[in-house]
Amino acid sequence: MKLLKLFKKDRRELHPLLARNRQAFLNFEKDLPLHDYDMVVLDTELTGLNVKKDEIVAIGAVKIRNLRIQCAETFYALVRPDEQLHTPSTLLHRITPNELQAAGKLREILPAFLEFCGEAIQIGHYLRLDLEFLNAAARDLLGGTLSPPYLDTMRLAMAYNEAKHGHYYEHSNIHGAYTLDALSKEFGLPSFPAHNALNDSLQTAYLFLYLVKKMKDYGFRTLDDYLKAGRKWKIIL
Amino acid sequence: MANNDLSAIPADVALDFLAEILPFKDLDRSELLKLSRNGTIDFFPEGTLIFRQGETEVEHFYVIQQGGVKTYRIEDNDEISLKDYRGKGEYFGALPIIQGTRANLNVEAVEDTFCFLFDKQPFLDLLASNPTVSQYYLRTMSAKMAGMVYSQARQKKIMPRTEGTLYLFTAQVGEIAKGELFQAPCTTSVREAAAIMSEKMVGSLLLTDNTGEIVGIVTDKDIRGKVVARGLDFNTQVEEIMSSPVQTISGQAICFDALLKMIKNRIHHLAIEQNGRIAKIITTHDIMVTQGTSPLYLFREILAQRSIEGLYPLARKIPHVVRALIEEGAKANNITRMIAVLNDHVLERLISLQIEKFGDAPLPWAWMLMGSEGRREQTFKTDQDNAIIYADTDDPALQTEAERYFRTFAESTIDHLVKCGYPLCPGEIMASNPKWCRPLSVWQGYFRKWCRTPTPESVLNSLIFFDFKGGYGDGELVDRLRAETAATARKSDLFLLWMAKSTLASRPPLTFFRNFIVEKDGEHKNTFDLKTRGLVFIVDFARLMSLKHGVTETNTLARLNLLRESQYLPETLCTEIIEAYEFLMHLRLIHQLQMLEAEEAPDNYLNPKDLTDLERQTLKEAFLVIGRLQDFTRKEFHLTDQ
Repeated sequence: MKLLKLFKKDRRELHPLLARNRQAFLNFEKDLPLHDYDMVVLDTELTGLNVKKDEIVAIGAVKIRNLRIQCAETFYALVRPDEQLHTPSTLLHRITPNELQAAGKLREILPAFLEFCGEAIQIGHYLRLDLEFLNAAARDLLGGTLSPPYLDTMRLAMAYNEAKHGHYYEHSNIHGAYTLDALSKEFGLPSFPAHNALNDSLQTAYLFLYLVKKMKDYGFRTLDDYLKAGRKWKIIL
Repeated sequence: MANNDLSAIPADVALDFLAEILPFKDLDRSELLKLSRNGTIDFFPEGTLIFRQGETEVEHFYVIQQGGVKTYRIEDNDEISLKDYRGKGEYFGALPIIQGTRANLNVEAVEDTFCFLFDKQPFLDLLASNPTVSQYYLRTMSAKMAGMVYSQARQKKIMPRTEGTLYLFTAQVGEIAKGELFQAPCTTSVREAAAIMSEKMVGSLLLTDNTGEIVGIVTDKDIRGKVVARGLDFNTQVEEIMSSPVQTISGQAICFDALLKMIKNRIHHLAIEQNGRIAKIITTHDIMVTQGTSPLYLFREILAQRSIEGLYPLARKIPHVVRALIEEGAKANNITRMIAVLNDHVLERLISLQIEKFGDAPLPWAWMLMGSEGRREQTFKTDQDNAIIYADTDDPALQTEAERYFRTFAESTIDHLVKCGYPLCPGEIMASNPKWCRPLSVWQGYFRKWCRTPTPESVLNSLIFFDFKGGYGDGELVDRLRAETAATARKSDLFLLWMAKSTLASRPPLTFFRNFIVEKDGEHKNTFDLKTRGLVFIVDFARLMSLKHGVTETNTLARLNLLRESQYLPETLCTEIIEAYEFLMHLRLIHQLQMLEAEEAPDNYLNPKDLTDLERQTLKEAFLVIGRLQDFTRKEFHLTDQ
């Protein structure tokens, strides 16, 4: 099995999009002010949390340039999964099986999404999960994984709270209190109906702007500063 | 492929936000899209200086999505002057874009603030193609905006009780008058006149002299009351019983004015003048047909009332009539005039009935109205402010007799007025107070003293007493007092200076922020006193300028108009002041009506959270107008700032 997969992987040509992407981040300069980077804030809707069984059913994303959310530069697509149109999370994201039936397949959508992302760095809330699914799909369909550095708003939030309240600051409940909803409420951000991939990406974008601008007060300046932020939380995340 | 169908994309944040706020909400979505297409969102932590006065190149028009900013200038002497607080749904950056300059003010986030940023060019394009939008940013009290506010306030706050179309303020008398015109020589006999009237089925006949000129009018009421009831010979010439001259009104006048004129003169017919000649007759009946809840019914009931006790419930009905007027779109000025006229009739009826009871007064006298009553600016909360003036006499016995008579008369009258729903004056400025029940010479002495030796107290008195007006009785006494007072005040420079200073003692509020009213020093309050923080500035200003220039009128709007006509006030400033005044008055009336309907005692305190965005915006404009009016006062009296 394992061998077969390796073999498959080797045989498949790296998709030109991924190749270009990899090239762009080969000697990537991380010491510029955060302001100078193009970013894409993304969110996926999934049928479940198990990357082996579950699938992506929606991708939403919004661009940030000059540390401003570009309202009109958004990406949103529903994805027709290979299996199970009825899942427990159908209720959660309010996408009906009929809508999914009419949607395109990931093999069409993923390249379009990568085209949209261009050479932007990636932002997301608990992004590891989204990337796990996206990379699995990219390996399958495009023969490789995504290369850009990414910032996770959950980690940034932990780093911010730590910087603000000191080392011994303990948040009441890590899992509850660091959800996108809870953080948006805690910081009093404008809010959007949750559990739609585009709305969630927009909500994440607000959270991101809030955190990175607030963190300037604590000496964060370059992309590298932010990448290193909340490093001690890496184990949990 | 349906998956990338853009219409399936969830809300366009910027567009949806714009569609909810002024001045964009009335624009087509396609227009808004041009602005929002390149919109971005930025975040400014509390304390961020977003614009630096004179330095920042403004590339975007900013709309606050959440949070708040303050705007301020640093003056040449390094003093900071706070200009405004702006919150959710408000904007900044418009003026520098319109004028093509750098930031004119410092803009600083006072809270964590999210803003939408829209590109300069599409914003300018939008202004160019939508005059209402550009008007909104050019910060003038425009009549158009005010009109929007009025209709919005009515719709929101006062739910119409009556269906059907009401024409009182829109229909012109020329349109609704049914009365065909019939004429007869004034030498016609009563019998013949009556025959013509019943043949033509009309209620009135215009009468001409031998040159054909119209000299009078006879109505069926005249024939009933003056001929039949008194047993006059039917061969009497109508000339003997006609009303002359004929009261006329322009064909373009609105029905409301016709009604007011009829009520004032207690007549039921008005001749309509068109192109310089009498063309038609309008009757109370014509107006009532178009008009359901009519002030006229109340007016008739008041006039017909034979007992004082019977007046109590009638006087308390006045708010109901006023409600109907507000529903129909009356402007504040119309409403206060109507309240004043109805109150006059109650007073007149009451005093007539009192005279029947007490007998005639020993000396010529008049009942004077002071304060808002004297200015004809009563709203629902009308404390009594009144006084008695009577003729001087050399006969000490007569003087004693007069004092006794007027004292008991006044006490009893005040008591009845309270029962009619006019509360006592907390400052005891009432005819029942011996100090304010005096002969002409004493009154003249009062005013001379106030003018010649100004003290804080006399300035305070002047605010109430200088607006006196005759309410009942001998108008000549009041006129003599008015003439002398006007002449004295005009020459009393020191007194005028004191008054000017007192009108400058406080400044108008700066702005609204959230649910607070913000004063110039940054203080926030969650109630706004419409009277002391708004109307008073304008009322005091109109009085001050009138006293300075010898204008004897007491009504604020009439004062302002006269001052403008005689060019004591610049045209534009005067128009702005009038707009601001009417708007404040309108808010006050609606507020008080709401309280009455909730069975609370009407007051002048608004909670800013009950105001719509448009009302807040218009109030801000009004504050600016008040600021300009104070600048004008400073210049007129050569006073420096502070």
